[in-house]
Amino acid sequence: MDSIIGSHCLVVGAGALGNETVKNLVLSGVGRITLVDMDHVEMSNLNRCLFFSVADAQGRAAKADMVVHGAARMAPDCELRPVVSRLEDVDLDWSSFDLAFGCLDNIKARLHLNSYSRHHGVPYVDAGTDGSRGKLQVVLGDGPCLQCTMNKSHYQVLERRFSCTGSDFSYYEPPMAAEVTTTATMSSMQVKEGLKILSGREDDCIRHLLFYDAMRNEMQTLEADIDPGCPNHEM
Amino acid sequence: MEIEVTIRNAENGSVLNMELDPNTTIEDVIEGAAEFWHKEAGAYVLRRGKKLLKGQSTVADAGLKNEDVLELIPDPEGG
Repeated sequence: MDSIIGSHCLVVGAGALGNETVKNLVLSGVGRITLVDMDHVEMSNLNRCLFFSVADAQGRAAKADMVVHGAARMAPDCELRPVVSRLEDVDLDWSSFDLAFGCLDNIKARLHLNSYSRHHGVPYVDAGTDGSRGKLQVVLGDGPCLQCTMNKSHYQVLERRFSCTGSDFSYYEPPMAAEVTTTATMSSMQVKEGLKILSGREDDCIRHLLFYDAMRNEMQTLEADIDPGCPNHEM
Repeated sequence: MEIEVTIRNAENGSVLNMELDPNTTIEDVIEGAAEFWHKEAGAYVLRRGKKLLKGQSTVADAGLKNEDVLELIPDPEGG
């Protein structure tokens, strides 16, 4: 427990997954959290985001600020820092992070976080959702990273944002709206994997990806290999 | 010599039989299967058993054999 209380986690993305993940982290006793997100709250977020209100949407409040505000009420002893910015535009002290969580809505941002985490030797747990489906990937120092597991289909939609928030940017509306139950499930597993890492139980982590289908009651763990051509693994 | 595999659509359970040249890449197999099922633009991966097949590898590199059953899985990227 001491290692969890003494840890500093980076969470990137303060949408539906980010809300759940920060909630799970503060209630699990994590001592410090830095939350990075550039967006503001939209009405369309409210059906699945614990810390957002109608007033936040009407006031175009920053998502990171609102999540931190709500989480601080749950865990006053946790040191929470909101950063209203894109990850690639902010200078973070990566040496202070024990773990990074990806709660993002597009592949390009995931690749940025993946690359920074690999470069700084920070373990990375990524989650993604679409309707009743979810995915989790655990990136540890000796294993494949996100980029190793991507293919041409990922790069064809690199900059699309897989959420249905906002009207002031180009976005891709998936065939199914995000479901809060899927989000909560994936966030729970994401944080559980993180807690294993923080408590020195990396060997018990998912290796390397987990796919979840709530409608078919299926969950499968898949192994992946390091891609020798991946720039994140070049010596 | 071509290799005959079956690809299962994880979203609806339907199957597709494909004859693959050993030099075809896995990502081209993904693209072909996604086109066959008229899938929405998005990210997909292909698995054989408990193994995620690397997109850039060829059918031969991936060790695919006749009668292998693969599964096309959508890769959720929403947050």
